[in-house]
Amino acid sequence: MSGCPPSQKTVKTRSITLLLGELQENFAMALGAVMAHKLRSALTLLGVLVGVFSIIAVMTAMRVMQGRIESEISQLGSQTFMIRKWPAIFFSLPEGIEKIRRRKNFTLDLCQQFQKKATLARNVGIQSYFWAGEIQSTRARTAPEVQLLGETPGSFAARNWSLAEGRILAETDVENARDVCVLGHNLATNLFPVVSGVGERVKVDGINYTVVGVLESQGTSLGGDQDNFAVIPITTGLNRYGGARWRTLNLLVQAPDQAGYEPCREQAEGILRAVRKVPPGEPDDFEILSNDSMVAQFNAFTLAVRLGVALISSIALLAAGVGIMNIMLVSVTERTREIGIRRAIGAKKRNIMAQFIIEAVLLCELGGVIGVALGVLGGNLAAWLLKFPPTVPFDWVVLGLAICSVVGIVFGTYPAWKAANLDPIESLRYE
Amino acid sequence: MNFLTELREGLSISWSAIRANKLRSVLTTLGIIIGIVTVTLMGTAIEGLHQSFLKTISFIGADVLYVQIEDWGPHSRLEWVNMQKRRAITVEQAATLASELTAARAVAPVMTSRERIRFRKRSASNVQIVGSTEDFFLTGGVSVAAGRFFSASEAAGGRPVCVIGSLVATNLFPNESPLGERIKIDQQPFEVVGVLEKLGTFLDTSIDNQAIIPLPQLIAGFENTHNLDQIQVKVKAGADLDDARDELHSVMRKIRHLAPADADDFAINQQDQILEMVHKVTGTIATIGLFITGLSLCVGGIGIMNIMFVSVAERTREIGVRKAIGAKRRTILLQFLIEAATICLIGGLVGLGIAWPVTLLMQRFLPAALSLSTIGVALLVSLVTGVLSGIFPAWRAARMNPVDALRNE
Repeated sequence: MSGCPPSQKTVKTRSITLLLGELQENFAMALGAVMAHKLRSALTLLGVLVGVFSIIAVMTAMRVMQGRIESEISQLGSQTFMIRKWPAIFFSLPEGIEKIRRRKNFTLDLCQQFQKKATLARNVGIQSYFWAGEIQSTRARTAPEVQLLGETPGSFAARNWSLAEGRILAETDVENARDVCVLGHNLATNLFPVVSGVGERVKVDGINYTVVGVLESQGTSLGGDQDNFAVIPITTGLNRYGGARWRTLNLLVQAPDQAGYEPCREQAEGILRAVRKVPPGEPDDFEILSNDSMVAQFNAFTLAVRLGVALISSIALLAAGVGIMNIMLVSVTERTREIGIRRAIGAKKRNIMAQFIIEAVLLCELGGVIGVALGVLGGNLAAWLLKFPPTVPFDWVVLGLAICSVVGIVFGTYPAWKAANLDPIESLRYE
Repeated sequence: MNFLTELREGLSISWSAIRANKLRSVLTTLGIIIGIVTVTLMGTAIEGLHQSFLKTISFIGADVLYVQIEDWGPHSRLEWVNMQKRRAITVEQAATLASELTAARAVAPVMTSRERIRFRKRSASNVQIVGSTEDFFLTGGVSVAAGRFFSASEAAGGRPVCVIGSLVATNLFPNESPLGERIKIDQQPFEVVGVLEKLGTFLDTSIDNQAIIPLPQLIAGFENTHNLDQIQVKVKAGADLDDARDELHSVMRKIRHLAPADADDFAINQQDQILEMVHKVTGTIATIGLFITGLSLCVGGIGIMNIMFVSVAERTREIGVRKAIGAKRRTILLQFLIEAATICLIGGLVGLGIAWPVTLLMQRFLPAALSLSTIGVALLVSLVTGVLSGIFPAWRAARMNPVDALRNE
């Protein structure tokens, strides 16, 4: 066997074993060096810790607030989108707002034309907000903050409203503009604490409406009560409040399923461009809003702020990196003789280099892990103070640890290079 | 050996120590430089933000009181709805108020509307139309760039004259002077007698997109009501604002026939309320911003402490020798403290040198300038950082036993 050249496979496995062994040895040496100078190592990793804490705490706090705002924005069902004249977020351009203001309003006629043509949609609702104020029943009156919404039967499915008792609005209610209403859950219990509200009458802004149904509770969102509204047929509302020049209706479109969402959306866009006579090549003169698009718009709006904050909070880590480089240079100088001996008994430049880089990375990672833990705690402290639900930004945790390694490698490379290029003879002689 | 000599000696020793380890000193200083640059820039940016906030509310006069049914302070939706239900403030109440107030220099009733203005083929839509009297010139924080404000007799007689904001002037009259021209607000003709100075934007809407006309014209032509948006009261020069506010309060209660036990059904607003909100907002931003940037300064300080410990360990023998020939603890302590403080001060100076051109760049977006106080605070902070991070290593050096120190290899 001894005469045979080793096969390629054994060379490969041997080199891997060698590499692993080297790594293990380097790791043990780095740990030894870290433990040998406890105070120094502690201070160095304290620097990294503070740097990582800064990033992670800030990003966690931002994530908490972002999550809160996103849940505030996301009030449509996942397969529902809304079409309307106004965008979800106004960019602060006076000319931009003027341009949108000049768009044609969504009239009832236009919306009904759309409803007839939108064959791919499962449900189409026509919707508008009419009034907010006090509602009276024969038994109770509410605080003056109940919202009055005009809807069509299609809205109920599109909004995921389910019925607790009675019935929803019917097509005939809309056609005949009847004075009927469906109450949100909390509103119904406020107005009719004892008996069922169905069949009773409530007075809204001077008009009596017959209650035909009560919706199930949707729970409270973070913004407050979600059930504090009454729904009347859109036509009834337009007869009562429709005179204003600025009145524009919203369309709620529910796709049959996730696969049908895109075709449904495209069809809707096409129909509206035709109905609103948008010339080819011109941009849409309406907005299609879904949860995703609204969240995306919001995120685009805040992107600059988030980038700036991430940048500013990572400056501390830069300072920590400089500190590591400094301490590693000291460490290299102090261990010149050790390096000389290692070189003399056969360690290659690469081995020395790896040794010091691993030491730097180890220091960084030790600080990084503690910094990440404290940062997540600190960021959620803000969440706790503001009474927002806590989050753990896993991507930033991973990224934070990765940045730590990068800092270790970047700022450890020069000292390691310096160590590796020491002349073995000179360093053995070093006092 | 007196203290001054010690100080001078400590300074020269630390200077040579800093020069002996050039790379190390540079890196340590770099940590401090990073911290000082970020803190200084953050401080300047926040100051600039604050100034620009203040600038946008400059049209709200410090000596003007605003009588309205709504309070400016933050309030819940329910409170807002209840305020909307209050009785309106009318033109007649404003007239009575003007005759009864003694501490007021000017009392201007204000009613607003939004209309389209046209001049020949050009038009500006959604312009705020302010109906008021000649007193608005004193209370409204406006000044005239060209022409004049309308007179008392024009205001009282309801003449069809108007003063237009700078944005309306540039939109409608790109080439010619607007003075003396007849514009049409909605359908009705008005003669332009004056153009206002540029005011800027407030809450993202331009307040230059306005036109001011006599109140009787607005009532007759557009609003058809006697309900005012607000009454602006400018306090006489030299009169105390709080006294004037008290007088205004009691006169308004009388005018609105409130019984002594009744709660106010109106609000008197003033600039302070908005200033308070601005201070609150910028205060929050400043706390968070300076905390984050302060962390990087803190990291720089940790770096100094670390290096000073190394330095003390390396120079154990030197310390032993100095102590053996009579140096006191204080002398050693001072020597290392001075070394740390010098590094930090140099870092602070260099940091300011880097931050200064950046603040010049910042001035393009914000009314921010590197103020003397910021410079002073930055240098003080760097000095304090140096002393704080130097004190533990220096203490360790000072407490060394000279015998052990001399024996150290």
